[in-house]
Amino acid sequence: MAPISIDAAALLTSVQSIVPEIIVVATAIFVLLLDLAISEEKKHLLCGMGLLGIGVALFSVYALGQGRIEGFSGMIVHDGMGAFFDVVILSACALTFLMATGYSEWEGTHKGEFYSLILLSTSGMMFMAKGTDLMTVFLGLETLSIPIYVLVGFHRNRMSSLEGALKYFLLGAFASGFLLYGIALIYAVTGTTKIPVLATMLYDPRILASPLFLAGTGLLLVGFAFKVSLVPFHMWTPDAYEGAPTVVTAFMSAAVKAAAFAALIRVLLVALPGMQPVLWKVLWGLAVLTMTVGNLSALVQNNVKRLLAYSSIAHAGYILVGLVSGDVLGGQASLFYLLVYAFMNMGAFGVVMLIAQKEDEGYDIANLAGIGFKYPALGALLTLFLISLGGIPPTAGFVGKFYLFSAAVKNGYIWLAVIGVLNSAASIYYYLRMVVYMYMVTPDVEVAVPRPPRILFSMALCASAVVVVVLGIIPRSVLEIAERSVLSLLM
Amino acid sequence: MMDPSAYLLLSGILFGIGVAGVVVRKNVLIILMSVEIMLNAVNVAFIAVGSHLGDVTGSVFAFMVMTVAAAEAAVGLAILIAIFRLKETIDITELSVLKW
Amino acid sequence: MDFINSHILSLMTFLPLAGAAVILTVPGGRDNLVKTIAAVAAFLPIPLAVQLWFTYDRTVAGVNVASQFQFVEHYSWIPSINVEYFLGADGISMPMIMLTTIISFLAVIGSWNIDKQIKGYMALLLLLETGMMGVFCALDFFLFYVFWEVMLLPMYFLIGIWGGPRREYAAIKFFLYTLLGSILMLIVMLALYFNTTDPETGGHTFNMLHYMQQSTHNGWLQGFDVRILLFLGLFIGFAIKVPLFPFHTWLPDAHVEAPTAISVILAGILLKMGTYGLMRISFPMFPDVTKWFVIPMAILGAINIVYGALCAMAQSDLKKMVAYSSVSHMGFCLLGMAALTPAGMVGAAFQMFSHGMITAMLFFLVGVVYDRAHHRDIDGFGGLAAVVPVYTFFITVAFFASLGLPGFSGFIAEAMIFIGSFGVFRTIVMISASGIIIVAAFHLWALQRVFLGPLNPKYAQLEEINAREIFCLAPLAVMTLILGVYPMPVLNLMNASLIRLVDVVKMVI
Repeated sequence: MAPISIDAAALLTSVQSIVPEIIVVATAIFVLLLDLAISEEKKHLLCGMGLLGIGVALFSVYALGQGRIEGFSGMIVHDGMGAFFDVVILSACALTFLMATGYSEWEGTHKGEFYSLILLSTSGMMFMAKGTDLMTVFLGLETLSIPIYVLVGFHRNRMSSLEGALKYFLLGAFASGFLLYGIALIYAVTGTTKIPVLATMLYDPRILASPLFLAGTGLLLVGFAFKVSLVPFHMWTPDAYEGAPTVVTAFMSAAVKAAAFAALIRVLLVALPGMQPVLWKVLWGLAVLTMTVGNLSALVQNNVKRLLAYSSIAHAGYILVGLVSGDVLGGQASLFYLLVYAFMNMGAFGVVMLIAQKEDEGYDIANLAGIGFKYPALGALLTLFLISLGGIPPTAGFVGKFYLFSAAVKNGYIWLAVIGVLNSAASIYYYLRMVVYMYMVTPDVEVAVPRPPRILFSMALCASAVVVVVLGIIPRSVLEIAERSVLSLLM
Repeated sequence: MMDPSAYLLLSGILFGIGVAGVVVRKNVLIILMSVEIMLNAVNVAFIAVGSHLGDVTGSVFAFMVMTVAAAEAAVGLAILIAIFRLKETIDITELSVLKW
Repeated sequence: MDFINSHILSLMTFLPLAGAAVILTVPGGRDNLVKTIAAVAAFLPIPLAVQLWFTYDRTVAGVNVASQFQFVEHYSWIPSINVEYFLGADGISMPMIMLTTIISFLAVIGSWNIDKQIKGYMALLLLLETGMMGVFCALDFFLFYVFWEVMLLPMYFLIGIWGGPRREYAAIKFFLYTLLGSILMLIVMLALYFNTTDPETGGHTFNMLHYMQQSTHNGWLQGFDVRILLFLGLFIGFAIKVPLFPFHTWLPDAHVEAPTAISVILAGILLKMGTYGLMRISFPMFPDVTKWFVIPMAILGAINIVYGALCAMAQSDLKKMVAYSSVSHMGFCLLGMAALTPAGMVGAAFQMFSHGMITAMLFFLVGVVYDRAHHRDIDGFGGLAAVVPVYTFFITVAFFASLGLPGFSGFIAEAMIFIGSFGVFRTIVMISASGIIIVAAFHLWALQRVFLGPLNPKYAQLEEINAREIFCLAPLAVMTLILGVYPMPVLNLMNASLIRLVDVVKMVI
């Protein structure tokens, strides 16, 4: 047997392609070990360490630059798209940590495993966004999901938390099964799991016509649909979102969605453009269903967390509109929207978290009554995030939606744009309902007393607000980066 | 090289059994086992296709799936134990703090 | 000075916003400081408007010729989709810009007695002014849309927080109606964008002036059916704002619940945005469809006139009556525009300006009596003329102006509209003329019930109108009178542009 030769240069490039991920995993392990070494009063150090690690990882993304670095014989690539999603995911993670400074203290999640699970999940997301082989995508997906199952059930004395975790876990594992079987069938027909190779195989009409391949693609899509919570695979979302510790809900809504969409974009735009006619009709239907069901269900919610959960389902539908469009503009719009969505949604969850004081009971919409005048800063921030979610100018949410729907119109999906715009209008009703409670309803009892935010917590909220406003007025540079990212994918 | 279609049929049947189990059964433990059957159906398919093509990817994938399945089972059982401690039941229909 | 001259429209648009930002930094409890800052921020555009007035060249038309727009500011904003920051003024927008500065400033003065959350109120009011000004100055459709939407939220909050008892309902109704209009506008905007090209760069464009050149339309847009669809989308969007029957039901609710100064702005400026949009966007962009659509428009205008007047007559709430009289008066604008004659078009634009002032006066006056009596029931007063003679004088002036008595600007506008449209659609105009009688009737009837007859002893001690309130009313009353006798200053401002507008629509085959 010949000795296995090691190509040192290739190994180095491989390592290079996953530097940010390595940093995140190392931080996760370090935080876990540090937890053992420090006393109870110093647990906030864990959070600081995590933030430091995220900062270094963000810097490494910047230092790696725009170039394309392929690693591990084409299993992973650090390209513009990967870098873009690394930034989105790491930002969401950073916001989570900043908010956790306060949240952990109130709800007792100042634990090493809490932070380390978030970091591990983050690394999984980053792998998923950069995976160019269905195997890496799958492993990334599981690395992100398993810690999230635990995090959702982190309050193990609260039944709602555990119940959310169980439902999420069962449906998540079920969905993984579909995804895997889809991959297996695609592998059976094409003999490969590499996304770029798949793309070249699809020029063969025999493969395209093979029922096994169609079934495989369908199952793959179902698996993804579960993860990004597209209707009708969304049943877990409201429960998991409502049950989870709010800081985790915020993290899930922003980062998990971004990572899953990253992989979906890669699969759809790189591997499957050959499937255009059939697949795009299915996606069209999914987008319409997701937007409509999400918004209609949100209209009747009285629990703020559940309301935002349905709104996040609806937003998955909007983002899908960009994918249905299927061209550079559509991809660019989806990327931009995912970034903006991370900030505005986490911001909204952050304010709600402060106002609610307590898990479970605190999230009734009536609890918002009178907040607007008593706590003008909180009221103004939440209003800003909500109008951005509703897509009203001059916020980033408007620019994002505008791009999504113009991509649809450009590619001839006029009805899709019309339905989307109507949906977006309906959504404004329930966002405004929260605003109405804050400013126009006099509370039955006393106005809720929000928790005084920690400095880092306030920083997270302010940063989100700045991003929402600035990207609403001068979105230019970020849009250009998003465009380059999509182009890097199609190279 | 052997013909994988019989194996694919087997894996299809196994997968179907798994899906049916998840959908029909009420006991969380059995649902978990059904999920495992689904994942093992995937493994059968991967290994069969891999050895038919003489490609190592299929076997590697099967190993990965096994690892992930183990991790998933660990987390799932942990959640289940936590629930059992609080509620003394693992019947999915009795978990209804959150409306479906 | 150079900077002021070259960015005059931007300054007028964003000075109020800057004022709002300053207000938000004022510590709590300093209410008078807040009000002063708001007044200054709302006043500053007025000298700039005077500057505009003196430097505006009245001989060039604008409308669809980019080079003829004045005070133009043209920068790239979002280059990847060719969105531009493009402001400019012509004869269609000039009177509206003037009106906005005056009414907004008076609205700030009129809000002096607000005591609930004055900081938020003034900031929103100034934000609203920025939105309105932006709508009238924008020549890029995307920018127009952004300003149009920016206006929506402050208005929603101003009604919803500072309004009357049913404020939430009124605010959300206003919001949803207007939003529906904006959505239609957004879709039309996207369709226009992807089916027109900038003749210079070859890329898609949001430039309104390019949309008006038929040669830039490609493919899809050249089909008449498609253009009808797009026109209708825009028309409904604007009709909701005007508001035209049957999209008018939000207006009485919004007016009744809104605080006085907000009603003033709503009726004085916001309603004009609907008709302004038709003149600035719908007519020159779709001249062929406009011609095809004139009869329905005239009929809608007539329905508005008669139906609005009848509704007004049936009201027992003074404010609701004034609100419905706005519906009636805005019908005249539509009738004049539909005639597509110079006289009709100029009359319509003059009616927009004149009605802006008259209705502002009316809402101020209703607010004055409501502040004192805490109700607005027409039959609940009686014989007030003896108690509050000055107030009675002002309300008589305003009512006479509103019912179109010769000597007031409303008469000139309505006369021009009738002259301009009579030759075109006789029957419709004759039906509309009956509206005038109803308008006169309900005004006089209300006047009689509130101010004449035996004095209701409950109001024997009613406080007379105060100096601040007179300060809000007097300029409007004087302008209405002057323009009623000598309307040329305003007519000169817009003649050239409106005649061009009529030509643009008429010339098309």
